Amino acid sequence: MVGGKPSGEGELRPGAGAGGGHGEAQGLESVLAEVAKGDHAAFRAVYDQTAAAVLGIVRRVLRDPAQSEEVMQEVLLEVWRSAARFDASAGSANAWIMMLAHRRAVDRVRSEERAAARELRATVAVIEYDEVSDAALATLEQERVRRCLGGLTDLQRQSVTLAYYGGHSYREVAQLLGVAVGTVKTRMRDGLIRLRDCLGVE
Amino acid sequence: MQARRTVLHTLVGPYVLDAVTGQEQADFERHLQACEQCRGDVRGLREAAARLAAAAAVAPRLALREPTIAAADRIRQLPPLVASERSARRPGWRGAADRLRLPGSGVPQLRRPWLASLAAVVVTALAATAIVFGVHVSVMQGRMSAMERRDSAIAAILGAHDATTLTAQVRSGGTATVVMSHRARALVFTAAGLPKLPASKAYELWIMSRAGATAAGMLPPDYKGMSGPVVVRRLTPGGMLGLTIEPSTGTGQPTSAPVVMVALGG
Repeated sequence: MVGGKPSGEGELRPGAGAGGGHGEAQGLESVLAEVAKGDHAAFRAVYDQTAAAVLGIVRRVLRDPAQSEEVMQEVLLEVWRSAARFDASAGSANAWIMMLAHRRAVDRVRSEERAAARELRATVAVIEYDEVSDAALATLEQERVRRCLGGLTDLQRQSVTLAYYGGHSYREVAQLLGVAVGTVKTRMRDGLIRLRDCLGVE
Repeated sequence: MQARRTVLHTLVGPYVLDAVTGQEQADFERHLQACEQCRGDVRGLREAAARLAAAAAVAPRLALREPTIAAADRIRQLPPLVASERSARRPGWRGAADRLRLPGSGVPQLRRPWLASLAAVVVTALAATAIVFGVHVSVMQGRMSAMERRDSAIAAILGAHDATTLTAQVRSGGTATVVMSHRARALVFTAAGLPKLPASKAYELWIMSRAGATAAGMLPPDYKGMSGPVVVRRLTPGGMLGLTIEPSTGTGQPTSAPVVMVALGG
């Protein structure tokens, strides 16, 4: 865990981007510290290291390519704006940025769903898992996540991916899967724990 | 109490996946403040979730890169939290996303405004406005950032979880932008490119409803083509925001037809 690192110095995250993959987090904390001081070159580096993963997760949730690009830009600019508020004791810079991205995508979906008629996209349960590796960008990292997802029980995997990739609340996931909300809550937690252990997250 | 805590703790997984909503989310975050172990759990699981994002990576079009980086030039960065502020904040990263919640948020949720295509733009940070509404808004945004330091009310509205941005063409020329939080029952009004008025005249805002019009503030003289921001509070459901041209001393009731009207929803 990153916990309590005082200076925001560079940190090598083992396993991340071993295949030169996107979302590589090498030294992201120290780059972010420079961004916080208004360094545009550092912001460029953050963009290069994270934009693909940000766009990826946003697009997973939103589906609409044009809207996703817009949200990706918003997320990166939010990183620029809030870089000084990044708190290394709460986790890695990469996890922080992905959290901002996912939240913003989910917020966007939920505000639209409140406005429009609710449509439960039941099909995501089937396609998400197989889609995990985008052929054009298949990297070692993606293979690894895919393999680790494969190690989850069906219910764990569906609970995690419907929430994270599908942007559904846990109550919606319970309804989609036809199981009790209590079951979904624990499957999400257990699924993430298994994923964490499999991926060797510190 | 113990039972309640146990129930809350089972939300660790859904919370990390952003699958907890509304009051439950607020409750869990409060719980998180008091629960060291939960914070540790959230930290670890969040790293795992971030890997799911990495696995979904899609290279963005090259054309997006430079404009995004250039846009940063127009956005003022938040200062770091000094120790006293930090302890007052929620733990973790909540503050960074600027989801300020206002007191008195027990107000019933109003329906979304009808400006369909724009209504869904949720502005959780100023950054959003620059991209969605183009360069002239970035001037406004620069001013808003300056205001933000002076006036936390504006920051609170712009950062509100339910902040919604509406734009409307002004009949006499220019564009009006309204960022509104239904929960806070308040909005921030700005306008770009309004026609200049003689010194004896000024733009005035009104809240208009069936019951009549209530003065909601004079626009200060424009600056680089931007007018405002003006904060309007105590909104009631179903009202309209109107802008009229009035004597610069202000009037008790509008004396001319509005040059723009914005329905506030509800």
